[in-house]
Amino acid sequence: MNILVCLKQILDPEIPAREFRVDPARREAERGNANLVTNVFCENALETALQFRETLGDAKITVLSFGAATAEDSLRKALAMKADAAALVINDKTPNPDPLTVAQVLAAAIHKLGSFDLVIVGREAGDWGAGQTAGLLAEELKIPCVSFVDRIEAMNGGLRFKRQTDSGWEVLEAQTPVVVSITNDEHNVPRIPKVRDVMMSYRQPLTQWTLSDLGYEIEDDKYYQVVDLSIPQKESRCEFVTGDTLDERVESLARRITEVTSAL
Amino acid sequence: MNDVVICLLSPASFDRAAQGLAGAGRRLAEELGSQLKAIVLSPQSPAIAAEVAQVIDKVIVVDQGEYQPESALSALADVCRQLSPVAVLFGNDTYSQEVTPRLAYRLDGAAVGDVVEVTVHQQALRVSRQVYGGKAQATIELKRTPAVLWTRSRSFAPAPRLSEPGEITELSLDIPADIRTRIVERKRESQSEQRLEEARVIVSGGRGIGGPEPFNDELKPLAELMGAQLAASRAACDAGWVPPTFQVGQTGKKVTPDLYLAIAITGASQHMAGISEAKNIAAINTDPDAPIFKHCRFGIVEDYRKVVPLLRQKLIALQNSQR
Amino acid sequence: MNPAGATRQIYWNISHIWVMYVLLLPALAIFIYGFYRQIKKWRRGVPAARFDRPLTRLKLVFKHALAQQRTARDVYAGMFHRFISYGFVVLTIATTVVALDADFGTAIMRGHFYLYFQSFVVDLFGALVLAGVGLAAVRRYLSRPKKLVYTDEATWILVVIALICLQGFLLEGWRIAATNDPWASYSPVGNLVARTSLPLLSESTLQTAHRFTWWFHLLLSFGVLAWFPYTKMMHVFTAPLNIYTAQLAPLGASLKHIDFEKTESFGVNSLAAFTWKDLLDLDACTECGRCTAVCPAHSVGKELSPRDIVLDLRDAMHGLNSDTAIIGSTAATSPEALWQCTTCVACMQVCPVFIEQMPKIVDMRRFLVMEETEFPESMQQAITSLEKRGHPFSGTNATRIDWADGLDVKHISEVQDAEVLLWVGCGGALVERNQKVTRSTAQLLDRAGVRFAILGRDEKCSGDPARRIGNEFLYEMLAKENVENLKKHNVKKVVTSCPHCFNAFRNEYPHFGGNFEVYHHSEYLSRLVSEGKLKPIATTNQSVTFHDPCYLGRQNGVYDAPRKLVQISSKGVAVEMTRSRENGFCCGGGGGMSFVDEPPDKRVNQERAREALATGADVLAVGCPFCMTMMEDGINAQRGDREMRVKDLAELLWEASSDPY
Repeated sequence: MNILVCLKQILDPEIPAREFRVDPARREAERGNANLVTNVFCENALETALQFRETLGDAKITVLSFGAATAEDSLRKALAMKADAAALVINDKTPNPDPLTVAQVLAAAIHKLGSFDLVIVGREAGDWGAGQTAGLLAEELKIPCVSFVDRIEAMNGGLRFKRQTDSGWEVLEAQTPVVVSITNDEHNVPRIPKVRDVMMSYRQPLTQWTLSDLGYEIEDDKYYQVVDLSIPQKESRCEFVTGDTLDERVESLARRITEVTSAL
Repeated sequence: MNDVVICLLSPASFDRAAQGLAGAGRRLAEELGSQLKAIVLSPQSPAIAAEVAQVIDKVIVVDQGEYQPESALSALADVCRQLSPVAVLFGNDTYSQEVTPRLAYRLDGAAVGDVVEVTVHQQALRVSRQVYGGKAQATIELKRTPAVLWTRSRSFAPAPRLSEPGEITELSLDIPADIRTRIVERKRESQSEQRLEEARVIVSGGRGIGGPEPFNDELKPLAELMGAQLAASRAACDAGWVPPTFQVGQTGKKVTPDLYLAIAITGASQHMAGISEAKNIAAINTDPDAPIFKHCRFGIVEDYRKVVPLLRQKLIALQNSQR
Repeated sequence: MNPAGATRQIYWNISHIWVMYVLLLPALAIFIYGFYRQIKKWRRGVPAARFDRPLTRLKLVFKHALAQQRTARDVYAGMFHRFISYGFVVLTIATTVVALDADFGTAIMRGHFYLYFQSFVVDLFGALVLAGVGLAAVRRYLSRPKKLVYTDEATWILVVIALICLQGFLLEGWRIAATNDPWASYSPVGNLVARTSLPLLSESTLQTAHRFTWWFHLLLSFGVLAWFPYTKMMHVFTAPLNIYTAQLAPLGASLKHIDFEKTESFGVNSLAAFTWKDLLDLDACTECGRCTAVCPAHSVGKELSPRDIVLDLRDAMHGLNSDTAIIGSTAATSPEALWQCTTCVACMQVCPVFIEQMPKIVDMRRFLVMEETEFPESMQQAITSLEKRGHPFSGTNATRIDWADGLDVKHISEVQDAEVLLWVGCGGALVERNQKVTRSTAQLLDRAGVRFAILGRDEKCSGDPARRIGNEFLYEMLAKENVENLKKHNVKKVVTSCPHCFNAFRNEYPHFGGNFEVYHHSEYLSRLVSEGKLKPIATTNQSVTFHDPCYLGRQNGVYDAPRKLVQISSKGVAVEMTRSRENGFCCGGGGGMSFVDEPPDKRVNQERAREALATGADVLAVGCPFCMTMMEDGINAQRGDREMRVKDLAELLWEASSDPY
């Protein structure tokens, strides 16, 4: 089975709010002191792929990223987690490509890499959170899409997925090839790579392409355009309940709660 | 054609979220001077269409039997091509989220998700949404038509009743079942029939709860007393203490309750992104500097293990005295 | 009679002496083979350099193998051990003298030497051996302390030692009786035996009994000789050797380095991956159990037992438990136990034979972390956070410079000729309670007119948690980055309020070319006070007790500077906890343990909190961000009759220094 996992490298979403700044002119977040990390849902996606491969006994996992040259670190980490091959399409044109551009570039790279039975992406990225890559990529590749998956199983003639819904879960059966978006679950917390594998990952080959290698040219603002990016100012004072004893303070709390709930 | 279309996918009722969606659609339609239409796909009860028609100019019911992703998408694309709308709006349920980008692609439009505001700006549609885990706000202009959007529908005011109910049409489409993907099993794991997004009072637990038992032993009785639904932060879900359906946050439910009681939750922006539209946030936390307090209306700095049992007693006493 | 001619007939009443020599050969062979076999096993370990500075090493041997200082820290045990060991030294000398006279034609045991040494002193020391065995037996069989290991071997050793000595006295006494020895009074015990036996036994019975006992004594002694290196008696030789090859650096420098390019497997999961010194350690153990008795994890009921780790590894080495994988092969070496260690090194501090228990635990952790990636999830989060963000506090919303709000603290690139780099550390920057400590420290330095600077956002974790959890690879990356960074800014002096950072910079960074003058803030502040640059005036009457941080005290020998600060910060009484200074009891936060959720009834910090509360002091002074967190939690959980405030030394000093006038 040939599996492709897409990864995105983003600014660390856990940087303290105080240090998060945006450049209003360029409408993107400032790098500042933030580290670059692999988007957590992409890590969940890779982990799901690795666990699925373990149940199959064998499968080839290729990881693909469309991003700046620094995205190589994310791909190397994926190789350290024992992905088999890695490819990077270098984006030196626009810092925040729209979802359709991303899907088109990924599709072009996928066509160049070969044929895949299963394409796995994270459900959304921790920076822009558009959540469109899986769907648009499926449309570009003209194959079906199953979203919010947390478990993959092989079955006769295809794959079985368990996916999360607002009220519970569903099981879907699908034929390959298919695109799948992965959501987080207690079981797909990304594994920690072994130190030796980390050391080896830097010696493994990594395919690098430019957009012209793929014959693709970015058209700015053809799908949508970010016209403003700002940090909302929120000022609010929290009233800490008062009282000399715990009893008094909880009494206060209970009253405030009842004030709100009885008005509903 | 300039229509605004809202889509309800396999709705169980014309709930608050659907009403909010209709409200968002109506506001946009008025601004554009166009009609508001609704596509109701596979409603779970026949009464729904009639309720929808109270606020929508034209209701198109498409019965496809149980929802299946590929055929639902094809059906929606078909109907939308016929309607040629300027905007297609969805709520924030699972099916809506998965359909939106693909529908946009098929209609040569553009999609944006998690929208909290839609405006018209010189012939183009602009939307607002939170990004960067709730740390920033972005305004996005759609460059293709239709704009296909999924919204935090419950945060919009419901649409006004029409003087006369709208027209209801039933459409049957000849769309063969797409066997490439099939939902074969559906499971509801909700705590009650009500969806978390509908809840008006929510009691939520975070990393500081420490394990699965307190959710059952402490938080659940408290929630019952308060008439609340239970929820949790991502940390608690990832730890397996509660099912993933409890998760509230950037990736999880976006909730708009009147009261959100956050217990042992630090309040990182990814969590706050799920409750930014909550009317009142209160917190119980041992750390007075926890970010959650910056968003609270009121709170208490104390170990929840000491507060919650006592709080239950107090609430019972207050309820009794109000009888 | 003329004392100058005093002696006794060697081999009186004994014939066929040649049998003795014949029996000696196999006994000796088995004895030598026993050592040879062990030496071969030690040599299977990887190399270690432990033969430098011979004079220092000899001094250690003198102090601890001969004078037995550490053994004597337990007064009772020290006493009986000295009785037995010194007794045997004397008996061995005496036997050697007999052998020399018997086989080499010397005439040493004559005259005054015979009377005063060979007879009197030897009797005395023989009696001491018996007394020692008696005292040991009382402890072992009547008090039954849990730290001892109750094996049949231990019992038999005591029995045969007692028996050999008793036989010696019987032989002496019966010879005296049968030969009517004129010098009997110089052998008081023998004389006693003679006087008691004479009325009971006829001359011929005496002779028979003597002959029988002589051969029995011979067989028993040769048996013990052969058995010797297969039992813990071996420590007689291995302990001095182990002490000679002990680690001379401070305890804080106990961990080994890994050459990542050349090493096949990281960490230890087989005996051959240990160093020969580690393996020698195993054979030096006397099963005294003190390490487990002082282990903080063990005292709160956890499974960790340093003694059992050593003994189980020893058994594996002796082939009694010959699984190739050692982790998880026994309860003591289970991952569960290994993850309970706080790396406080109380075990190493107390060990009378200088065994290095903690590094073995970390070696096994390294295997689990770097080869298997199997380690507690909470530690995984800390490690992942270190990799991604350069600090272990996953989820914090604080920045590295929040603590400096309102203070005029500059980045090192902005300060020409900074005297001192104030290294804040992750705890001091990102944990809200500790930010106050950093503020106090900075304000004190400022008040003293010290030209200091910080690295601010450029600071990365010192790597200590990564190293103790077992991720040596990550630690090296962090350490190298920090060393490079400090060198780039030409840093010479570093002051830090975190003992873990202090230990890393002082003892571990030189390996990466980082040679800085490193001070704990208590040392530096104390010096500022003696130089008159700070003039604190104590205004409060609070009584204060100081909790020694393991990484400052036991691991680096700094005990006095903090106490000086306590003295000058309060007019109240300074109280010492029972377990203080080098015997200090860990707060439970080291070794990555502050990131772990311990079972509520087995928390090290609560045990220490109880001890602190028992002093009745108003304030518990600490000198470490981990201790601060652990002790505040511990005291909150205890909620003793009175509230005890936990404060850092810098906070106390600042309170006494910040006069509003």
